[in-house]
Order: sequence, then structure tokens, then C-alpha cells
Amino acid sequence: MNDMTPDGYTTEDGRKIGGVVMEMRNITLRFGGVVAIQDISFDIREGEIRAIIGPNGAGKSSMLNVISGFYHPQEGEVWYKGAKRPTMKPYEVARQGIARTFQNIALFEGMTVLDNVMTGRIRQMNAGLLSQAIWKGKAEREEVENREVVEKMIDFLEIQHIRKTPVGRLPYGLKKRVELARALAAEPSILLLDEPMAGMNVEEKEDMSRFILDVNDEFGTTIALIEHDMGVVMDLSDRVVVMDYGKKIGDGSPDEVRQNQAVIDAYLGVAHD
Amino acid sequence: MPEQFIWGMEVFLNGLMAGVLYALVALGFVLIFKASGIFNFAQGVLALFAALTLVGIMEGQVPFSHLINAVFGTEVHHFGWTVPALGAILLTMVVMVALAWAVNQFIFRHLVGQEPIILFMATIGLAYFLEGFGDMMWGSDIKKLDVGLPQGINSVIDEVTYNIFGYGFFIDNLDLWATFVAALLVIALVLFAQFSKHGRAMRAVADDHQAALSVGISLKFIWVMVWSLAGFVALVAGIMWGTKSGVQFSLSLIALKALPVLMLGGFTSIPGAIVGGLIIGVGEKLFEFLIGAPYLGGATEIWFAYVLALIFLVFRPQGLFGEKIIERV
Amino acid sequence: MAQPSQATDGMDSVPALLQRNATRFGDEPAYREKEYGIWQCWTWAEAEKEIEALALGLINLGVNEGDFIAIIGRNRPHFYWSMVAAQSVGAIPVPLYQDAAADEMAYVMDHCGARFAIVQDQEQVDKLIEVQEGLHQLEHMIYVDPRGLRKYDHHKLHRYIDIQEQGRAAYYEWIEDLKARREKLTYDSVCVMLYTSGTTGKPKGVVLSNRNIIEASKSSSEFDKLTRDEEVLAYLPMAWVGDFIFSIGQAYWCGFCVNCPESPETMQTDLREIGPTYYFAPPRVFETQLTNVMIRMEDAGKLKKWLFDYFMAHARRVGPAILDGKPVGGMDRLKYALGNLFIYGPLKDTLGLGRVRVGYTAGEAIGPEIFDFYRSLGINLKQLYGQTEASVFITLQPDGEVRSDTVGVPAPGVEIRISDTGEVFYRGPGTFEYYYKNEESTKKTKDSEGWVATGDAGFFEDGSGHLRIIDRAKDVGKMADGQMFAPKYVENKLKFYPNILEAVVFGHQREQCTAFINIDLTAVGNWAERNNIGYASYQELAGNPRVLDMIQSHVEEVNRSLSDDPMLSHCQVHRFLVLHKELDADDGEMTRTRKVRRGVISEKFEDLLGALYDGSREIYTTTEVTYEDGRKGSISATLQIRDAAVVPVETAKVAAE
Repeated sequence: MNDMTPDGYTTEDGRKIGGVVMEMRNITLRFGGVVAIQDISFDIREGEIRAIIGPNGAGKSSMLNVISGFYHPQEGEVWYKGAKRPTMKPYEVARQGIARTFQNIALFEGMTVLDNVMTGRIRQMNAGLLSQAIWKGKAEREEVENREVVEKMIDFLEIQHIRKTPVGRLPYGLKKRVELARALAAEPSILLLDEPMAGMNVEEKEDMSRFILDVNDEFGTTIALIEHDMGVVMDLSDRVVVMDYGKKIGDGSPDEVRQNQAVIDAYLGVAHD
Repeated sequence: MPEQFIWGMEVFLNGLMAGVLYALVALGFVLIFKASGIFNFAQGVLALFAALTLVGIMEGQVPFSHLINAVFGTEVHHFGWTVPALGAILLTMVVMVALAWAVNQFIFRHLVGQEPIILFMATIGLAYFLEGFGDMMWGSDIKKLDVGLPQGINSVIDEVTYNIFGYGFFIDNLDLWATFVAALLVIALVLFAQFSKHGRAMRAVADDHQAALSVGISLKFIWVMVWSLAGFVALVAGIMWGTKSGVQFSLSLIALKALPVLMLGGFTSIPGAIVGGLIIGVGEKLFEFLIGAPYLGGATEIWFAYVLALIFLVFRPQGLFGEKIIERV
Repeated sequence: MAQPSQATDGMDSVPALLQRNATRFGDEPAYREKEYGIWQCWTWAEAEKEIEALALGLINLGVNEGDFIAIIGRNRPHFYWSMVAAQSVGAIPVPLYQDAAADEMAYVMDHCGARFAIVQDQEQVDKLIEVQEGLHQLEHMIYVDPRGLRKYDHHKLHRYIDIQEQGRAAYYEWIEDLKARREKLTYDSVCVMLYTSGTTGKPKGVVLSNRNIIEASKSSSEFDKLTRDEEVLAYLPMAWVGDFIFSIGQAYWCGFCVNCPESPETMQTDLREIGPTYYFAPPRVFETQLTNVMIRMEDAGKLKKWLFDYFMAHARRVGPAILDGKPVGGMDRLKYALGNLFIYGPLKDTLGLGRVRVGYTAGEAIGPEIFDFYRSLGINLKQLYGQTEASVFITLQPDGEVRSDTVGVPAPGVEIRISDTGEVFYRGPGTFEYYYKNEESTKKTKDSEGWVATGDAGFFEDGSGHLRIIDRAKDVGKMADGQMFAPKYVENKLKFYPNILEAVVFGHQREQCTAFINIDLTAVGNWAERNNIGYASYQELAGNPRVLDMIQSHVEEVNRSLSDDPMLSHCQVHRFLVLHKELDADDGEMTRTRKVRRGVISEKFEDLLGALYDGSREIYTTTEVTYEDGRKGSISATLQIRDAAVVPVETAKVAAE
């Protein structure tokens, strides 16, 4: 990308993208003898929609799990907001403002939609156990304030009608939306989406794309998503990292990536979908 | 009004009171089971341990005195002071939280993701360990526990019922207190679980570990919290049972009575534990009074609860309040 | 022609009513809307301020008297304010169906030449932008929800609250102008223009004056003794005349509060929370609710189900009589009170109908079982017969004279006459002025004496004096042997079965009647689940032999009941098939108000129709379908054709001759 500066760049549709918020430096991840990620570096900038794509088994999910602290790379460094991140547990990463969704949806099935989304606010709620036990003072205030944020997200994702429904009873597409609402309720610095379109039909994919764009537009949220459906990603993202067999084979704007020979080869080598 | 009926009413009320105590123990089971999927066999021993610790602290007993005396040849038994009940209860709670932390740190943290049966075995081990540990720490003699709860016949009820029925009901003050405390405890727990951040986090952890992590919930914290809560419930149960019948090994056996309560009420339901406890309490007392004593030679209280639970297992395996088990084909 | 009525106390326009309400009971709630999980409330005084700010903003934007302002959105206070603000500045509000496709919208926008549009969100803005090329008159768009619109070119696009803000800022500049424009409004000025979807042809713009709306609202409010204390839930399309009458006409006349749901999907919950006292719903809504209740009762415990069945049977026996104030024995009353405690009360609360004092249904015939179900619960559900052209009310059922097969007596001030051909004509103070830019249709519909043709065939019942509607006048055809063919009458009978969603009956100029049927996916799907019948799609379920058996039994029951009616016994359905797709407005098979388009259907499914009459047992067919996003695809299926048993009509025929 030519107009790339340390301070950011301007996208085709005129959005101002800020500086680097997260940087992966020479990440290598091995499971036993299998190399899942090999020496990969890239950055994520404030306000952009950054995609990591690649065929199945390319190591995308592993990369997302490294970012969210579920996996710990053997080599390489994760830099977040200008500082090197020490090895962290997933919940600590979450508390730093990195929210995520899962490919297979990880919601609290027995809890209502409202309660699920409320758990997204845990980071912002810090009333003591005692205050909670008597539900007075800080705890009460906190509960009300956070409920307001949560209601905005519920409104945003148009799930008001299922507010009090236990998540376990919802169909797949709605669960995806609830999970997104929960992640958004955390008001994250970075939102990680793990194959947000997986298992969706064309119409649902379009809806989801709209939501992702609207999130970015409305809240200025930095979004990193992984996806194996090229088409969707190219329309959605500002910059794309392409992975294949654990290596990075391309990085740049969708147009640049599309013309990249290594990417073309990799994608011709596998079945499209 | 026939005498039989009036006596029956008294038996009924007494059954309710006994049921409350069963429910208290069952509650501890439900809490841990809901939050971590662990069926905690050690809940009864936890109650015993809590009661032992409470008595020990109140009387200023030196912990591990037998061991110390054996090793160092000393003769220390008491510090020579006593601690007022409220302070001792708070201190005991601190011990129970420490115990919760230790249980998690040394046992369950290492067993994350194991089969339920493994976790269950671990709690059996924990039960035996705690039993021995408690003995070693505080001695194995039967102790009297008195935290100042009123005991003996409640004269108001006695008088009122006498005026109405011409026969005064014998209701123990301690039972009344137990009922009151248990009700309070249940309301508090339900409110906590439903409407507080940590309660919500607790339910979240019970539901899905991975998701809980991803929203920033520390599993360790929640587990320690849950075990502490179970410890707290055990302490309350220990106080009630201990005051009633002395602090002794048999206290840990009340856990076995909690089992049928859970089968009735469902393993995952807090209200279920309460209702289950009440049904068993009333059921066994009434059965003994109406059928057991006159026709079966008495002592039916020992087995009634289990038979009832068995019947329930056949007709409604998920319990009264448990989530309905539906297998979609 | 009768002397035109004059306004009471100078209340000759909706803005005038607003002024009155804001002055007289400014602190009472006028609008509520649930947002972010909480009911927000605006008093009449606050609403007046909101409307004034918007009106000033509109003048500031350049709205002239006589301009048309399109209003496209779901029921939200903002859009009701938009209508009244438009009226205040002398413009004419034109509410449109928000689910209309872009080209349908384009036709209407072009026809009225709207210079302004106040719309809900990005979806509507996108639609208008898509067709803007052809709309030379459209200048400005105002949107309420800014989501996704940040990056749009804002030269001609404005945010609702910004317009209000500009209005407030320019208060002193325009307030005199606004007052002057309001003063100019009279009983004869146009109040609103509503497009009727119509089952055939292009939509027509029905022009209704302040006289129409206010007189109709006034007399109907008096008829049902509506007061300021009513609560209504506004959830029916704003483009529909009923919503305009209930949520603006009657609400402003009486001064009651209009509640707007949080979203269309939460309507049921919102209904429960609000507990309306005055409620309108088309038969379809009552049907769906009843189906849901029945499904839930199927899954309920034995005791609960037994209680429900026991008390419902009792309610069916004595409920309607109690509601009508007829004498009922003490024991029955006691039992009914008990049922009310255990079943009716909780059920009504669950349905959100616990406080309904006056409930109406109209638009289509309602199944007698459905109608009686609600009435037996003690809900005062009544029927009315109306049209956009009549400002809704033609006939109404008075309390205590309610039946499922009539539509009541003429509304106050309305005269009705039946023509020689059996068609119903009416005239009254609510009768519309004219169709906009369509003199021909106006003349065809409304004669020089003010009589309006309804297009419906009907008659006044002897004795009760109630009107009975049989069918659309033009749908009433003749069978090959010259007997009367009333398809809708038969279709309604079929549709009263919860398993049947839609039915289209054929028979005009034919020897015998046949039918296309759409199953109700919810009801039949539930039945399938209980009976372990797996299915992946509507099509698969519709083709299941056991489903066909079930539908066949329904058809045969209808035939039996038809055979009892000497006028219509020859309309029994001889053969039928279950369609492989649901009839859909997007495919043009139905109107947006879900009335079947007979012509389109018989053309589109010509092959199927042929098969119904050539005796074949099954037929293979391919049909084009339109998806929600406008793309097209096709589905194909082999459909079975079933013969239904008919009751011989020889005797009936003899009797008729």
C-alpha cells in the first residue's frame, strides 16, 4: 500500500484509519512437531477492518487464538497499544479490550439473551463482592449504567424481541447476532470475528456483512476477522492478510491481494466456495 | 377436632423444620454442581469441618494440638481465651475461603476438562482427607456448639396452639431460627446469582468455560468463589445441625440425607433443593407418625427418604425442578 | 345530497385538535414508545413542541402549502408527528407501506409528485435513491435512524432531529408563517392521502378531508364511548386507513395515548406490557394468536390441559351470553368466574388482551370458532366493515349484537343501499373526496349523489337488520350451469382451519369447483414434529402424503358444511392440490395486505389449473420465485392432485329450482 504512513491512511471510501493498535511480530506456533504458524508478522490499525484469509487449515484460527490469548506462540511477540504483551490468559486479554466471537458460537445457552450480553460488560463492572451481595450503592448504579449500554447493543443488532429468551432456544443466525452483541457490549478496542459467516446462507451473509460494516461505521471499532469465503471478505475489509500452510503469502488492500500471484496460486490449488 | 389430626399437624410442622435443615445441605451441593458440574461428595464433611473449626475457634483450641504435643512432647490444648460467636463465625468463614482456594489450587485446577466421574472421585478423596484433617486439627471428641441461638420449646406457639386446639405444639426455637436463616440464605443466593455481576459470571462459567474466558471471566476466581459459597452454606448447616445434635462425625452423614433431597428437587435447582428438603422432611415424619409407628414397627425415618427418591427416579428422573431432559432424534 | 356537516367548536383540522389537547390536558401522555427496553413517554404538550419544531424545520427547508410529503416508516411517534407537522404547514402527508419494493414506491411517489420524504432508515433511503432518477419532483429526504447513513451525500439528505433543531433555531423567523398556515386549514382542506393497494391495477390515491377524518373519528368514538383513558398499541401499517383513524383521528379527537412497539417482532410482548383497552387486529392476527395458544396447550402438562379444556368448554357455552349481558344461571356464572380466575384471566393477560374493552376485527371474514373463542374469554371482540374510501366505517357491530357472520349496522351518519346486482353502496360524512389525478376512477366509484360502490356483494339480514357480506362483487361468478359461484366464501371456510393458510378456489364458467391450498407452516410443522414427520422445507412438508390426507379431510368437512347451504351447495370442492410454494406479495400473487390475486395466480399456475380439470393424478411444474432481496430463482416439484368426497347436491338443486 503506497499511501501507508505510520499515522494511518485513508480508505477508498474515505474513512480515516489511525495508527497501529496491534502488531504481530514473527509469530511462530507449533503443536508438538506440527507448525501451525510460521514466522508471521502483520499489524492491525485503529478503525480498520482487517481480514485474515486462507484456505481451510491455513492457520487462520490459530492466529486468532494467539491474538485472543487462547494459544501462546513459541516464538515472536505480540505488541498491543505500543507495548509488548506478556504471556496472558484469555480472560486477561479480554479485559485489555479484545473481544471475540467463535466460529462455533460460544454462548451461555442456559442464560437469556440479556444476561449473555450483560456478561460482555464484566470488564466495565468492578463493584466489590460485598456491594453486590447487598445490591446497593455502586453495584446498583453499575448495573443500571451497563444495562443501558447493553440495551443499545440489543437495539443495534435488532434482537429486542428475544431479550428474555434463553439462548439455547434460538436459531443459528440469531445466536450469531447475540454473540456479536455480547462482544460489542464490551466496547472493545479490537473486535475479533472468527468466521462470522460460517454456516450462513446468502441472505444471512449479507445481513452479517451489513452489521459488521455498521459496527465499524457507528462505533469506529477496529475489527479483525478471519474467513475462508474470499468474496465476502474482499467486499468488507480494508486490508487483507493471506495465509497458506501457516505462512503469510500476501498482505495488502483487497485489490493488491487479488493480483498477487502467490495468492492466486494458493486459491487455485484449493476448491473455491 | 380429633386429637390425631392435631398431633398430625404438629408432626407436619416439625417435619417442615427438619426439611429446612436437609435443604440447607442440599443447597451446598446444588451450588457447586451448577457452577462446575462437580457432584461434591465432600459437602457433608465440609459442614462437619466448618462446625469443628467454629467450635475450636470459639473455645480457643490450639489447632493440631495432638500432633504438636506428640512431636514436641508439650501439653498445649487451649490458648486460654475464648472468642465471641460472631467473631468466630467470621474467622471460620476466612478459614472456609482459604480451604476453597486450596481445594481449587491443589485439586480441581489440575482436573479441568476431566470426566465428571473423575471429579466425583476427587471429591470422595477430598471428603476422606477433610475428615481426617479435621480430626487431626481439632480432635475427634464430640463437642457441644452454642453460638447463642435460642433453643427449647417456643412458648408463644405453645400457648397460642393450646388456646386454639387445647393442645400446645412443641416447636423448637432452634428449628424456627434455622427456617428463618435458610429462607434468608436462599433468597440472597438466588438474587446474587440472578442480578449481580459475579452471579452472572458464575452462571456463565457453569454454562461454557471458553465463552466465559473470552468475555474476561477468570475461571479460578469463580471456582474459588463457588467453593467459598458452598463453604459458607456448609458453615450455616454445620451451625444448625451442630447446635441441635452436637458436633461429631455423624454430622457428615447428613450429606447422605441430602442425596434423596436432590433426586426429588433436581440437581440444578436452588428452589428444588428447598422444596425437596421440605417434602422429605414432612414426608418422613408424617409417614412415621401415620404408618410407620402404628403398623411397621417404627424407625421408618431411616429409609423413607431413599424409597421416595427411588420412586422419583423411575417417574421423573430430572427431579421436580430439574431441566427437562429431552432427546431430539 | 345531505348538507355537509360543520366542525364542532372550531375543531376543523388535526393540528387544531393537537392545540386543544396540548392546552386542555398537556400533562397527559400522548405517545409512548419502547426504546432500549424502556417505555419513553411524551405528553400532549411535549408532542406539540416536537411537532412544532418539525413543522418549522419543514418550512425552513422550503415546504410549501399543497406539497405532498411521503412518510415511510414503521409505527413510531416520529412519523405520527411528521403527519401532523405536514398538515400544520399546509402540506399533505402521504404515508406509504414501508415493505413496498422500490418500483412500487416509485409509482406512488411519482403519482403524487412528492417533493419531500420522511423515512425511517437506510433501507428506505436506499430504495428511494435507487428510483430517484425517475422522480423529478423529489427534492429532500429526511431520515430518523442515522445508522449506516453517515457516509451518504447529505446535500439533499437530512437527519430528522437536525431538521427539528433548525426549526427551533429559526423559531422567530417562521412561527408567524406557521400560525398563518395553520389558520388557513378548514374542514374542507385535505387531511391525508392514502393509497389503496387494490387487488387489481395500480394503486389509487384516496383524498380524505379533515371533515372525513374528524367526523368519522367523532361518530365512531361516540358509538363505542371511547374516552381519553383508552390505551392503544399502534402496530398496523401507517399507510393503512385504519391506523390513521385509530392512531391519529380518534386519538386526537378523544385525546388518548398511542403506544408504539419497540420493533415489529416485540409486538406481542409490548402488547402484554401496555394492555390496550381499545384494540384492532385483522383476523389473521387473532388466528395466529389462537394457533400459538393451541400449540402451547398441546405441550402443556396433563392437569393444565385438562383444566384448559374443561373451562374453555364452559366458556364456549356461556361466555358469549355473559358478555352480551343475557341471563345466565348463577351456577354457570360461578363456574365462569372460577374459570376466569384460573384460565381466562391468565390467558387474556398472556395475549395482552386482559384490559380490552372494545376490540375490532375487519378486512376479511373471521372464522366463527376463532371469533367465539375470544368472545367466550370475555373479550368484547366485534366486527366492522369498512374501506379507505369511507374513512373506515361503513358498518359496526353494536355491543350486545355481535355475530361472526354479519358485519353490523350502518355506522352513525352512514346510509347504505344494495343495488339490484347485490352490490353494497354507501354514503356519509366520511366518504372520500376524490381519487387523486384519477377522475375516471372517481366517477366510476362515487356517483354525483355521493354514493360509493364498495365492490362487495351483500344483503341486509331479515330481522336483525345487520349487513352480511358474501364476496367481492366482481369475484362472484357463474358456474357453467349458471349457478352462483362465490369463491371467497368457500376459501374463508377452508382458511378457518389452522392448518390452511391460504386457499384459492376456481369454478367460474366451470362444471365444478377446485382449489389450490397453502398449508400453514407453523401449525402443520408443529403437527409434523409431534407425529415424527421430518421435513426440510415448506415444499417437502406440503408434498407429504399424510399432510395431504389431513388437508383432504378438511376439504371434505367444508364440502359437508357447504352442502347444508342451499345457495352454495354446488360450490363444493371436487379436486384440490397443495401448492409447492407459499403465495407471496413479492411474487405478485398477493397484495401487500395479503389478499390473493386470483388473475395472477390462475395465469402463473396455468399448468396446475389445467391438471385440476383434466383428471391427472400428479403434475410436474417449475415456478419462478423472487427472494427478499429482489433476485430471482426457480423451484420445481411434482404435485399430487387429490379428489375430495362431495355430498351429492341433486336434492339441493331441486330445492333451489
